[in-house]
Amino acid sequence: MIRWSAELSRRMTCGDEDKRALGPLLRRLVELSRKSRREGFQALEAEIAAIEDPLFKIGLRLVGEGLAGEPLEDILCTYLLTSDEKGWPFLRACVTIEGLLALAEGDEPALMVRKLVAYYGADRALAALQELEASAP
Amino acid sequence: MIATLLNADWGRWKAAPVSRQKKDALFELACRMALIAEAVRADDGSGRKRANSLAAAAKAERRKTLAFGLDILAEGGDAESLDQAFDLDPVFRDLDAGTRLELGMVRKGLLSMIAREHPFINLRRTTAFLGPEYYEKAGAWMLERIKRRKRKSQPLLVPGEMPDVVRSLASESGGHERGLGLERAMRAGGRSLASAALAGCPQESIDLAAPVFGSLGGAILADDALWLRGRLSSEEISQAQSAFTDIVQGLSDGGELALNGEEELYGDPDFIAEITRVVLGMDEKPLKTFLRNVEARLLAMAMQGMEPEAHERILGLLTKKEQRNVLDALDAMILLPRREIEDAGRAFARGLITAIERLLPTASSSDSMEKLTQIRDWQRAETAG
Repeated sequence: MIRWSAELSRRMTCGDEDKRALGPLLRRLVELSRKSRREGFQALEAEIAAIEDPLFKIGLRLVGEGLAGEPLEDILCTYLLTSDEKGWPFLRACVTIEGLLALAEGDEPALMVRKLVAYYGADRALAALQELEASAP
Repeated sequence: MIATLLNADWGRWKAAPVSRQKKDALFELACRMALIAEAVRADDGSGRKRANSLAAAAKAERRKTLAFGLDILAEGGDAESLDQAFDLDPVFRDLDAGTRLELGMVRKGLLSMIAREHPFINLRRTTAFLGPEYYEKAGAWMLERIKRRKRKSQPLLVPGEMPDVVRSLASESGGHERGLGLERAMRAGGRSLASAALAGCPQESIDLAAPVFGSLGGAILADDALWLRGRLSSEEISQAQSAFTDIVQGLSDGGELALNGEEELYGDPDFIAEITRVVLGMDEKPLKTFLRNVEARLLAMAMQGMEPEAHERILGLLTKKEQRNVLDALDAMILLPRREIEDAGRAFARGLITAIERLLPTASSSDSMEKLTQIRDWQRAETAG
């Protein structure tokens, strides 16, 4: 069944330019996924200091502590829900949470990126996927 | 799409500032909930003890929301009754932001208690309501708890290859970072499976595995393993260990692990099955006589190469004091290579043959004697050709 929430959709609404600005975040998440597969999650510790977004930083620490699945999702979503974000910051937070959940599950980078481009919307997802794959090392 | 956000009740979280003072008070409340969760989890063995523990916590609690929720749990309330009690929807929306936050936080902490989650996960869930600025504070509180903790060891060793698997994965370095194999296997299996599998392992295995999740995550893993040790049967632990080793094998087959000393990983199943059969089928008298005279350390070494049923039969024939000696020997023992465990098994068989010859001379041609002789003269599969 396809599930939809009007309020969630409203909160995520933002312009094309904003969606394009998600590119660096997606690339960062995919890089982290590759690094964790290559060197392990302990290696991500070094990356945490360079992250400014508190949700991203906390999420990465929780993944390092071995949290995954429901508890990780619940904790990160609680941070988001109580922050009352809207528009681009909200969309960015959703992408961050989705990426961290995929990272914790050990998803292949290719699968992770497909989960994340869905946040661009159906009309932009395919183009975003091609862009990301073209820029992959 | 993230299910939690799809199902969220957005009306509850309308923007409204909550004072720092209120958040500090809620942080203290979250810490108290984590302490109660810890105490209740420790009393989890009996329903009555747990209810008493919850009732006492409810009585001592000064915050009405938490006292009310604990009282519901003490009366046997489940997640549904808690939701009914806390889901005062029409009222909820008119409450001030601080009270809404408190209700949401207390409900979350109580649900975590019902699920018997580790108190640190409980605290992570509840302090998330207070915002990122409380993340470090919660971490510092947990590290302080770890420092002050006195862990009670409950010795139990479920024989099998799990300790060898952990040790081999921890030392893996072929083409990867050292210990990466252990991390991959534990993350692939998930924390619950890893804890259940480690529940039957000696402390050495837990000490090797815990750092994979860092200091806090490692403490949670080690606590969960010890907690499950007192709650799972040896059969359940054995199943978890098999599932874990299957995952390791799957990762290895898929080229994601480069294991060191693979032959050490998987013991000779025929040897383990044979010695287990002998222990289970042996007459009580010679077995008991032998067990009471054998050195605890040798027995502990041999038991590492037996199935759980044999383990249970042996311990059942010993006095409490002898049991303690063997369990202490198991607990203190550095895990032996398979070759040494099999040597101990052969020595065990030799000792039993002597006991039978002395006590039951007419049984020297019995089925058990034949099997014991086979074990005594056992050759490793690869050398027997």
